[in-house]
Amino acid sequence: MDSILVRHKWEPYVWLLPSIVLMTTFVIFPIMIVFKLAFSEISKAGIVGGFVGLQNFIDAVKAPAFGPVMINTFIWVVSVVGLSTLIGFIMAMVLNQDFRGRKIARSIVVFPWATSLVIQASIWNYIIKFEYGNLNNVLLNLGIIKEAINWRATYQIEFMWECGVGIFVTIPFVTFCVLSGLQSIDAAYYEAATVDGANFWQKLRNVTIPLVMPSLTVSTVLNIIYVFNSFPIIYTITKGAPANKTDTLITYLYMLAFYDQKKGPATALSVIGFTILCIVSGIYMMMTMKKEDA
Amino acid sequence: MKKVSSAEVMGKNRKALILAAVMLVLAIVLLSLPAYEFSATLFTKRSGNTFVGDERYVKAMSEVEAAADEYRQQGFDVTISEQVTERVNSKGETTSMVAFTVSSTNSFSAWRFLGAGLPSSRVLMAILVCIAGSAVLALLGARGTMDVQHYSLTGKAKNLRCAACWLAFIALMLVPVFVMVNTYSFSRQVTLFASGMAAEGADELMGRIGAFLYGDAVSGDLGELLSSVAYNTTWSLWALMPVLFVMLCSLIVLLKGELYAVLSRGAMYLFIIAMSILILYPFYVMFITGFRSNTETTDMYFLHMLPTQWIWSNMKDIVGRGVLRYLMNSIILSVGATTIAMICGIPAAYAMARMKFKGKNVFLGFVIMSQMFSPVVLLVGISQLMNTLKLNDSIIGLMLINAAFNQAFAIWLLRGTFLSISSEMEQAACIDGCNTVEALIRILLPMAAPGIVTTLIFVFINAWNEYTISTVLISTPINKPITVGITQFSSFNMIEWQYLFASALLATIPVVILFMCIEKHLAAGLTSGGVKG
Repeated sequence: MDSILVRHKWEPYVWLLPSIVLMTTFVIFPIMIVFKLAFSEISKAGIVGGFVGLQNFIDAVKAPAFGPVMINTFIWVVSVVGLSTLIGFIMAMVLNQDFRGRKIARSIVVFPWATSLVIQASIWNYIIKFEYGNLNNVLLNLGIIKEAINWRATYQIEFMWECGVGIFVTIPFVTFCVLSGLQSIDAAYYEAATVDGANFWQKLRNVTIPLVMPSLTVSTVLNIIYVFNSFPIIYTITKGAPANKTDTLITYLYMLAFYDQKKGPATALSVIGFTILCIVSGIYMMMTMKKEDA
Repeated sequence: MKKVSSAEVMGKNRKALILAAVMLVLAIVLLSLPAYEFSATLFTKRSGNTFVGDERYVKAMSEVEAAADEYRQQGFDVTISEQVTERVNSKGETTSMVAFTVSSTNSFSAWRFLGAGLPSSRVLMAILVCIAGSAVLALLGARGTMDVQHYSLTGKAKNLRCAACWLAFIALMLVPVFVMVNTYSFSRQVTLFASGMAAEGADELMGRIGAFLYGDAVSGDLGELLSSVAYNTTWSLWALMPVLFVMLCSLIVLLKGELYAVLSRGAMYLFIIAMSILILYPFYVMFITGFRSNTETTDMYFLHMLPTQWIWSNMKDIVGRGVLRYLMNSIILSVGATTIAMICGIPAAYAMARMKFKGKNVFLGFVIMSQMFSPVVLLVGISQLMNTLKLNDSIIGLMLINAAFNQAFAIWLLRGTFLSISSEMEQAACIDGCNTVEALIRILLPMAAPGIVTTLIFVFINAWNEYTISTVLISTPINKPITVGITQFSSFNMIEWQYLFASALLATIPVVILFMCIEKHLAAGLTSGGVKG
């Protein structure tokens, strides 16, 4: 990279200054506040007291809802990221083929990504209603079922629907990340593999997957972060009901902080969530960097 | 290409044609087997506290026989069945209860449907026409060209064979349609008719179904009789599908010479169509529900796929409920956030792409790390900060936060764009006496326009769709952006779905269009920044 004539040593920093100011104020400060609050005593009215050590963390972890919420969060992240990556990968492979109507298909795939999560979640909330939901209506009309099915009989099933909606809205992002990776692969690799007599699966394993790995890594890491932090889907469909049984860490944290006014444990949970994210993303980054070096 | 003798080609084509013919015969045989079994309960009689053979039993039996005779005279084909349940009464004696059922069972082959005038009759007619047409066209297409390899076929023979394939395909697709249409008439329409909620023209349909099932025998309450009818699709109808599929395959071999490539391509199209339907389904729901009336949206028995009446006044109503204000807020918020993000992001990305300085990697790491700090985890911190800055409950506060949390993406995307443009032009300009600011504005920005527009739209959409921070920070109704504003239509005890979706429609359409514009550039930008960074 050639450098343009920079007259003063301090000039680059001037260029960076607005960005640094913006991000420090609205990203770094809140982080510092959260960390400070997590170790402070906070009254119900929100008045911040002195340092209390790990008391907030102990309160947060001891709450009966904490265990199930962590398990839910784990299921939520693993199922949504895992399945959307798998399906997104397949869709990208298909969309990378040459076929009639490919442009239209690609535009359609973008749709769920472009809608606000809260709108998408509201629609699905309506679709799966037992009494008048559209899914029952359509299936009855098509003659596929004979009487209305209760699609949300138990909270486990409701949570599965939430995961399903999560997957539905995440697929386009993965698809487009993988698609960009696929498009950058030189066709010569495939020609060489064909000459060597490789079949479809061999090409997939030895050419496609290694070459889209970088894109896949980026999309997976970003996805873990997005999905972990996803709030509107669960908040719109079940609000964590009954009794936090369908909550993930984020919705639980929101309820604690803004409904129950327990800011202390809530900030402690923020710090916990934060740490988990850093560790997971860090491990993933390191693993893939090692692979690329080797 | 391998040289194939004409005798070999002839053999292969002949095999394919014979296979198709066998399948055709099989299909006709399957159509003649019973396709549907109907059983209707005509009369039931329970007799308690009795034993098989005792006085009460005989009395009940004779009553049942009399009823059955009456139905026989009407022309029903009836069978009598009895079910005995033993039980111990309060005195400890074992008695039994006998339930008699007079029922009529009919099974009909598919041919019977042809003249019945039911909705499914037309579907069946189409299936038959397609199968027959396919057979005729295949024969015509094969006549005189049996020994010609498929790639050297003349236009006419090729077209005929191709048409045969398509007809066989349509016939295959129509089989499940036939079943669905039948289910629709026999179950859904009948239920609605029996409960008095049927749409217009149901009387006629019920009459036809009655005549189809029981000839002229039916008198009395048709709805009650029909609602007791249970029906069963038999295996022969389902077996029609694989048979037609094999026929289609052999016709494809006749046309293309090979099967695998065509089938995998067909499967791909099916996958794409299924995927598109699934993706568009929520949008369909949003669209139709936005134009329905309130009673229709929550009507359990609402049975139409489209609104019976398009209620355009929903749009007027939501405008009255302040949706325009929310939309305006969203526009101000998104435009503001995008402007701030670009004003801060472009210089930073420029410095990152074109200048060398100490701490560059530290800054890049910082940018990448800030991706991890989603605003949601920091909700408490952000709301505290906004309280201190007196920016809570204001759109300006939301703008700044959205801009800050989109900085990372903006810098990534922009840096990637700048790096992809050679710096020679700028260097030349600098030698001619331009300074760096002029080089950026006059030379680099115009060249990077596509990338900048992509970034701009991306940040705009993110800000437009943001929900969580806005719910926490904004409490005054007139300051709410649209994503938060629409939730006023859903409270705990009542959700006004039609208003919710009508306003959701207004909030979605512009964004979807914008997104489709940048779709092409976006994916490349998203990953390249990360991979290179």
